[in-house]
Amino acid sequence: MTGLKLALMHRALLVLFLGACYITSLGQSDDLDPVTRIYAIKNAHIIQAPGRIIDNGMLVIKNGIITAVGQNIDIPAGARVIQADSMYVYAGFIDGLSHAGVPKPKEEDKKNKVKDPGNPPNNIAGIEPQRDVRDMLDPNDKSVDEIRRLGFTVSHTVPYGRMLPGKGAIILLSGDNPDAMVYKQQASLYSQLAGTPGVYPNTIIGVMAKYRELYRQAEQAKAYKSLYAQGANGMERPASDRILEAFYPVIAKQIPVAFKAEDVLSIQRVLDLRSQLGFNLVLADVKQGWDIFDKLKSSDIKLFLSLDLPEMEGQGKSDTIKVDKKEPLKLEADLEKKRLQARKDEVIKKHYQQPALFSSKGVLFGFSTAEAKSKDIKTNLSKLVENGLSEEAALAALTTSPANLFGLEATMGTLDKGKIANLVISDKSYFNKDSKVIYVFIDGKMFEYRDKPKTKKAAKVIGKWTYSVEGFQGVNTGDIVIKGEEGNYSGTISSVVTGDTNDLSAISVNGNQLSFSFTVVFEGSAIEVDIIVTIDENTFEGTMTPGEYGSFSIEGEKVPEK
Amino acid sequence: MKKYIIIVLPLLFSLIVQAQQKGSVLIKNGTVLTITKGTLETTDVLIRDGVISRIGKDLNTPKGTRIIDASGMYVMPGIIDAHSHIALDAVNEATSPVTAEVWTGDAINPLDVSIYRALAGGVTISHALHGSANAIGGQSETIKHRYGTVDPDVLRMKEAPRTIKFALGENPTRVHGGGQGIVPRTRMGVEAVFRSSFSEAKQYMQAWDKYNDGKNNKGFKGTAPQYDLRLETLADILRGEVIVHCHSYRADEIYMLMQVFKDFGIKKLVFQHANEGFKVAPELAEFGAMASVFSDWWAYKFEVYYSTAYNASILHKNGVVTSINSDSGELIRHLYHEAAKTQKYGGLSDDEALSMITINPAKQLGIEKNVGSIEVGKDGDVAIFKNHPLSIYTIPMMTIVDGIVEFDRKNDADDMRIYADPDETIDVTLYGTGHAGDRCMQDAQFLFYK
Amino acid sequence: MKNLKYIFFSVILLVVQQVEAQNEKGRKGTFALINANLVTVTNGTISNGTLIVADGKLAALGKDINIPEVAEVIDCTGLSVYPGMIDGGSRLGLTEVGSDARTRDYNEIGDVIPQMRALTAVNPSSVLIPVTRISGVTTSLAVPDGSLFSGTAALVNLHGYTPDQMYAGFEAIVLNFPSTGKRNRWDSRSGEEIKKDAEKALKKLNAAWDRAVVYHEIDSAIQAKNSSEEMKYYPEMENLLPVVRGEKTLLVEVNTANDIITAIDWVSDRNIKAVFTGVSEGWRVAEELAKAKIPVIVGPVLSVPNREYDRYDRPYANPGIMLKAGVKVAIKTGDAENVRNLPYNAGFAATYGMGKEEALKAITIVPAEIFGVSDKLGSLEEGKVANIFVADGDPFETKTQVKHLFIEGWKIPLESRQTKLYDEFLERNPGLKK
Repeated sequence: MTGLKLALMHRALLVLFLGACYITSLGQSDDLDPVTRIYAIKNAHIIQAPGRIIDNGMLVIKNGIITAVGQNIDIPAGARVIQADSMYVYAGFIDGLSHAGVPKPKEEDKKNKVKDPGNPPNNIAGIEPQRDVRDMLDPNDKSVDEIRRLGFTVSHTVPYGRMLPGKGAIILLSGDNPDAMVYKQQASLYSQLAGTPGVYPNTIIGVMAKYRELYRQAEQAKAYKSLYAQGANGMERPASDRILEAFYPVIAKQIPVAFKAEDVLSIQRVLDLRSQLGFNLVLADVKQGWDIFDKLKSSDIKLFLSLDLPEMEGQGKSDTIKVDKKEPLKLEADLEKKRLQARKDEVIKKHYQQPALFSSKGVLFGFSTAEAKSKDIKTNLSKLVENGLSEEAALAALTTSPANLFGLEATMGTLDKGKIANLVISDKSYFNKDSKVIYVFIDGKMFEYRDKPKTKKAAKVIGKWTYSVEGFQGVNTGDIVIKGEEGNYSGTISSVVTGDTNDLSAISVNGNQLSFSFTVVFEGSAIEVDIIVTIDENTFEGTMTPGEYGSFSIEGEKVPEK
Repeated sequence: MKKYIIIVLPLLFSLIVQAQQKGSVLIKNGTVLTITKGTLETTDVLIRDGVISRIGKDLNTPKGTRIIDASGMYVMPGIIDAHSHIALDAVNEATSPVTAEVWTGDAINPLDVSIYRALAGGVTISHALHGSANAIGGQSETIKHRYGTVDPDVLRMKEAPRTIKFALGENPTRVHGGGQGIVPRTRMGVEAVFRSSFSEAKQYMQAWDKYNDGKNNKGFKGTAPQYDLRLETLADILRGEVIVHCHSYRADEIYMLMQVFKDFGIKKLVFQHANEGFKVAPELAEFGAMASVFSDWWAYKFEVYYSTAYNASILHKNGVVTSINSDSGELIRHLYHEAAKTQKYGGLSDDEALSMITINPAKQLGIEKNVGSIEVGKDGDVAIFKNHPLSIYTIPMMTIVDGIVEFDRKNDADDMRIYADPDETIDVTLYGTGHAGDRCMQDAQFLFYK
Repeated sequence: MKNLKYIFFSVILLVVQQVEAQNEKGRKGTFALINANLVTVTNGTISNGTLIVADGKLAALGKDINIPEVAEVIDCTGLSVYPGMIDGGSRLGLTEVGSDARTRDYNEIGDVIPQMRALTAVNPSSVLIPVTRISGVTTSLAVPDGSLFSGTAALVNLHGYTPDQMYAGFEAIVLNFPSTGKRNRWDSRSGEEIKKDAEKALKKLNAAWDRAVVYHEIDSAIQAKNSSEEMKYYPEMENLLPVVRGEKTLLVEVNTANDIITAIDWVSDRNIKAVFTGVSEGWRVAEELAKAKIPVIVGPVLSVPNREYDRYDRPYANPGIMLKAGVKVAIKTGDAENVRNLPYNAGFAATYGMGKEEALKAITIVPAEIFGVSDKLGSLEEGKVANIFVADGDPFETKTQVKHLFIEGWKIPLESRQTKLYDEFLERNPGLKK
């Protein structure tokens, strides 16, 4: 197979896969161009910025720009009107660090076999600062929609890798091609305190030393290069070195180093590097900063707190600490377990209270999702609010603060006239845990996330149904009776043709899908018949598979109860 | 149950301190084992703002000073472990035979509960050494056991000079020669690595000197050598700015390194383990090299098969400054007992035995002016024992660092972790067996699985 | 003048002794230890007593004892006599140089291999043995390790030229009970995975056991019928048979609290003569252990707590806590080259709650009882095997020196390679210059 063919197949598979994803929601307008690029969002609760709210407001978007916000605004001609009654409109969220848009590299299954592990090629050592995330972007990667549907419109996206994975970019979570996504290229030099298995630098001490050395070498090379530029005659020619050159804009303070540092020790190690080397720092995906608050505050860093939070077991069952007063605990071991659970809960709580703490101390911070699972992010935001973070502060951390931290405030972060039309619209206040994102606009392009009618709830299957199957001997009809209760069904199936009635087994209901089996005796041998149908209120459609004899369409309807 | 919560929760908050603290305590009426100035019966030791300010009888209590009644107890200087790997997130950067540029100070983990366990054995300072996978390993950090902080900086003993770990024998030859097919595979190769590394460093220094001499001249067109952190460190060793602590076992390799160091003019040398140091004790004494040894570990590998527990005594009696170390999160908890073994094996006096875990390791770490004995002006690092610390029946009761009580047997909680693990499964036991093992080769294991 | 003569005479004596010392061997004979403090362990302490060693036995002890004419008299003024210490579990004799697989003989291949006998592999010439015994440890249990039923442990006296000369009359099958603890610091298995692995191992254990029970039933039936039918050659089952029948001791190595509870159930369901070893978290479930009446051999006492949140001194206090709850407690080192530290393991246990007297029992009479050899070992009693050491003080105290040592009545020179190196190198000759 040629490479092209492989690529095409890959694409086809990807489309298939994406298609499957989109079944659960209406998603974007896909390949069809929108009818208009003018939108008027009407009758909405518009939160222009934290604390700036317009009730019953109107927001007009034209060609990707917010052209008007306020009350009593005329709907421009040619606008598609979005009836947003009782909906909440926010500025689009900005993600402080993620891999959104970058396909996850496959796990390297073979060990890095190098001749001298102390001196491995840079790409194996994870030292690739010359790479640019722009070269890796794929607007159709599922990571884009995963956070977009949560309201994120812009991301500081960085490559995957180890110590120095490459340069990050500020991207819009929308675009027909990689370049169309990029808002600000080379926005950061992405770094991690991550060594490479089996080769240098392998451990934290190797990474720290290597980082210092590369930085110092880059400073030296940069200085020499400028000397050379002043008077090259008689001077040894400076060697070209893509690794070191990648540091030049950092040294010139044109771009910051973006470090991912989660735990309390990693954060301090990054701060050490920063104070020794003097670069501008974006510190992202921070999880445990509450005890080093002063260090973080005094360090003039651009801070992003992780939306990946530890699981809160205690939640809902607060009995983890409470003890039944009547029955005293017998075993010291039980008491110990309670104490340990209390300590664990305490440290978990610190994670949840951290944004509130930072906010109360007046620290500017945003959020980042690099390590967070997308399905947890929205719930986690609600939990942060439950744990003391004001909704305004939470919104600021998603909008105005990251805009300021990245220097994007001229065009992003609020819903003001002239800004890029990045917005998120939810049916209730976003931080209400039952709220849903309905629309996301990025660069004026609309994404609709209205859920289909709920299908998750188990269909009502109990009762009597009639069915008909077209088999090779003509149409067979009969009744299916299902009794019992959810999780414990029983039933029978009868056939007009044979006059038999058989018991059903393995009855299971999954959403609107009903499946069961029964056994018939046909010419002396037992045949297991499987039936799977999809129920739509009072009718069903599906297939019937009698052993190895092919499969047949089956449909039926419910016999109304008296 | 309610009671428990009340006890536990306030503790969570009080555990964590933000910055380095200094305290004031008056330890009254103890038997003070000064180590350097004899034993003083029924004597008070006053620590003010982290420093021993007075030693004597019936001292007055300055305002704001906590009084600790040590009557019937023994008061000795905080124990110092010249070889440990506790409180480290990484021990070996085992990927290259020479890694002089790395530094365990970058891997300090103040959350390690081993620090508390060491305090519970009276240990106030440990030398957080790089491992022994490489001929020239990493620079190391001397830490004070100021437990209760999340800030690695708080642990660093700022007064301590720089140190670096070297290693001879089986470990570097096994890891690099055996594991990767890279020199050294033999003790010859180990020597060659030292000689080539220092020679290279010399040339590097000379090249920089040449550049620095010329760079201010008009029309200078020279080029500086590329900045090399590894060679920078080796150059610092040649300049005498770094104390070398060398993992070693056999007499011949110990002798070899002394020859190499003589040739390169390096003087600050401490041999770690040195199980066969006793065989070249006169040479060690002549060189001025020191030795930090196990009390009785042997036979766990071939190069320690011809050991003797009398090693420390022989070295000491031959004039070598000798300390007893742990190299283990287990032994570090009872170094006082390890030191006592020098009385069983060689009949050392109490002061001699105790000096092996106090003033002698202090000398080896270059901090003897600050710690290692109870003297006015030294740091307020003190351990208080019920029964004589060299007796098997001794119990460390209280350990004080910079005048702050860091361990108090009577009042401390069972669970002394600073952070609980938010993801832990509470029912899972950390170790299924009692064996913890030493960590000298931690982070190098991957090299053997091939 | 008289004094001078005396000094001269003693110098000669000393020289003679030193010459002799170079090739000194163990000697069997009749010895009279006089003016000694006899710490019998089982019957209190006899001060200023006499103890007669003859024919390898403790022939007599007490205050007014006749000294046989043939006896070599040893003046023990200021010294104390103790029964030899017994390590309830070690690898001594089964390994020489830890890191060298060629010298490791405790871990055979296979999961169920009770037929592997430690006694076969004990190396009587191990350099480790003299190093150990001159500290007063006269007997140790050599334990195979590394699998589920890892073999048959053997109790040996630390003197002799063949395993049979060393054998001290007790063997037991070793079971490493499936563990739900992490193996070590680098065990990266999740809680779930660990549980699964343990369940798998437990299944394997039960399967092996069930087979052994069937083997026992068939074997019993054959015997009952006096049939000439022979059992098939099946050494695994043959060796489990006496355990199934409750005739042979099963040493169950088990450490974490949950595992101990599981093991108690497992053992009590099966009517086995079981002894638990390791038992590092015994303090967590001491009551249950006491209720189950299962004796334990705990150790090493000098170890770190199993869990980060455990109080720092739990391993020290563990033996005492179990003892107070009513458990029969012996102590082991689990070590090889440093079995000599057995008294310090006991000493720490003594200090942290067990008390001196009980801690001494835990390395003398209690293991002897657990091993069914208390008629021979474990205390100073008339008729017992002469495994004794004479010390200048409390045997737990670190600085105490052993002055005489007898194993099975043989007077053993207090010499090992380590003492010889001391003699040679304390004052090296040539020194700096040749």
